[in-house]
Amino acid sequence: MSAVRRTRFADVGTYVAYVAICLFFAGPLLWLISLSIRTAAEIYVSDIRIWPNNPTIENYAAALNNPLFPTYLWNGLKLAVAGAVGAMLFATPAAYALSRFRFRHRNLAMIGLLAFQMISPLVIMVPLYRYMDRLGLTDSHAGAIMIYIAIAAPLFTWMLKGFLDGIPQSLEDAAMIDGCTRFGAFMRVVLPLSLPGLTSAFVLNAILGWSQFIIPFILISKPRLLPIAVGIFNFQGTYNQTSTQILAAASVISIVPAVFVFLVLQRFIIGALMAGAVKG
Amino acid sequence: MSQNVLSATTASAAGKRTRERRRLSERPLIWLLPLALLLFVSYVYPAIDVIRYSFTNATLLNPEFDYTSASYRAVTGNPDLPGILWVTFVFVVASVVLQLTLGLLVAMALHRGVRRGLPGVSVVRVIILSAWIVPGVAGGIVWQLMFNEASYGFLNALLRTVGLSPVAWLSDPHMAVWSAVIANVWRGTAFSMILLYAGLLVIPKSLYEAAAVDGATALKQFWYITLPQLRPIMLINTILISIFTLNTFDLILPLTGGGPGRATEVLALYAYNTVFRNFDLSNGAVLAVLLLLISIAFTFFYVRLLPKET
Repeated sequence: MSAVRRTRFADVGTYVAYVAICLFFAGPLLWLISLSIRTAAEIYVSDIRIWPNNPTIENYAAALNNPLFPTYLWNGLKLAVAGAVGAMLFATPAAYALSRFRFRHRNLAMIGLLAFQMISPLVIMVPLYRYMDRLGLTDSHAGAIMIYIAIAAPLFTWMLKGFLDGIPQSLEDAAMIDGCTRFGAFMRVVLPLSLPGLTSAFVLNAILGWSQFIIPFILISKPRLLPIAVGIFNFQGTYNQTSTQILAAASVISIVPAVFVFLVLQRFIIGALMAGAVKG
Repeated sequence: MSQNVLSATTASAAGKRTRERRRLSERPLIWLLPLALLLFVSYVYPAIDVIRYSFTNATLLNPEFDYTSASYRAVTGNPDLPGILWVTFVFVVASVVLQLTLGLLVAMALHRGVRRGLPGVSVVRVIILSAWIVPGVAGGIVWQLMFNEASYGFLNALLRTVGLSPVAWLSDPHMAVWSAVIANVWRGTAFSMILLYAGLLVIPKSLYEAAAVDGATALKQFWYITLPQLRPIMLINTILISIFTLNTFDLILPLTGGGPGRATEVLALYAYNTVFRNFDLSNGAVLAVLLLLISIAFTFFYVRLLPKET
């Protein structure tokens, strides 16, 4: 076999792999969408037809008309954004210090951040639930947001530190020689330059907040305060098998914002994630 | 005159303040303090408290408790525990092995496509990343609909179409854990793929060129160059996804709820049920301590593998 033919052959093999990959990874999502545009009658059709005979968007209307569903979406957005904003406030100065200062135990601090990321939220939720209960912060967004912030802050710091490492220090040094304080140089030079890194870390943490399940599941019991992740879980429990199509539509609605935002910014986010993960 | 003195003192006071502020801002501690306090209050102190609770007879409802080590005896003596640990072990190991293998295959296929400039590579990448970013609960629901044994379950419909008998994906206790593994691999592979792809990018091309000159086949190149070069990142990957899988909770709950019976009740779910369903704080705290110890052990390994900073 000539080299050219061998390459062609390998190209075909690569595409075969792509098809298999796409089937496995996109298949379940396509099936979800397929179920979400079916009428109740077509849910029970047993042959596989991805595009139903009578496609309908009724199910989406039904999901959104559920009195609680828009509230779930709004709560999900509120908690996700507030958690990411809070995490940013705590993470940014810390990431700056870890990137710019050389101090004893700096590596230990980085490792500590990693260790926090590895602790299951469930472990800390056991006592945190009790504290929040004592403070009267269960069933409140304020209490949930505090924990969202704490959970997002280590990853936020880690990602941002990786990004800041890539910004040359000479720019701040120049600003400081010209009379800027370090804080002034941080505000006027470093922050504007780190906007892409801040955005990536913010968006990824907001998406993770949108997906956050365990904290609101444990902390919040009032339906009108629940975010979307717990909301669709409750949907699954309350809708019976004859309304699977509505559950599917609700799930699609919960997935689309996260996937859309992520895909728009995927190059930045993955770049920032890698900067932290690989360099260490 | 007095006015001058006054303005001079305020000026020097202001100057002093600026200098002080400048000195303070040179201290890393000032910058790190907010985060450190946050993490202390929300991680360190609670973690210590979990350990404290684990040596009590506390319940979630009753604030009064005595110190005892009976909880450890109760948890280790619980006849359910070996089963839970075994399910957790199977779930984690199978997920990790499959995620690594599949992640490597996907990364290599994408890497090759990018190198050859094949059209459609970015579409494939987008699809895998989408599966990763789907919220865990939604992922559980998606796979619940795939595995469902009613007629709208995709996989059984597929099996029927090709003339095979349907499989009890979620109602057979032996099958259910594998169904959970499949769902978890679907969601987690992208993460492995991202890391391994980055690993592939930094393997020097010259290694392959030299091997090709020496007449090494593609398979040999994979075995003697790609795999050894990826070894460090594979190890890091293994540890990270082991932890993520161990902590997985949101995917399993809508998929199987831990059932049938306790066939898919992994350690995290068991700990949750103990504390928040049975209100048994002390025994739940023992399980949380177990989760904590496993996380710390994995972190320890991870740290030893990280490249030393120069």
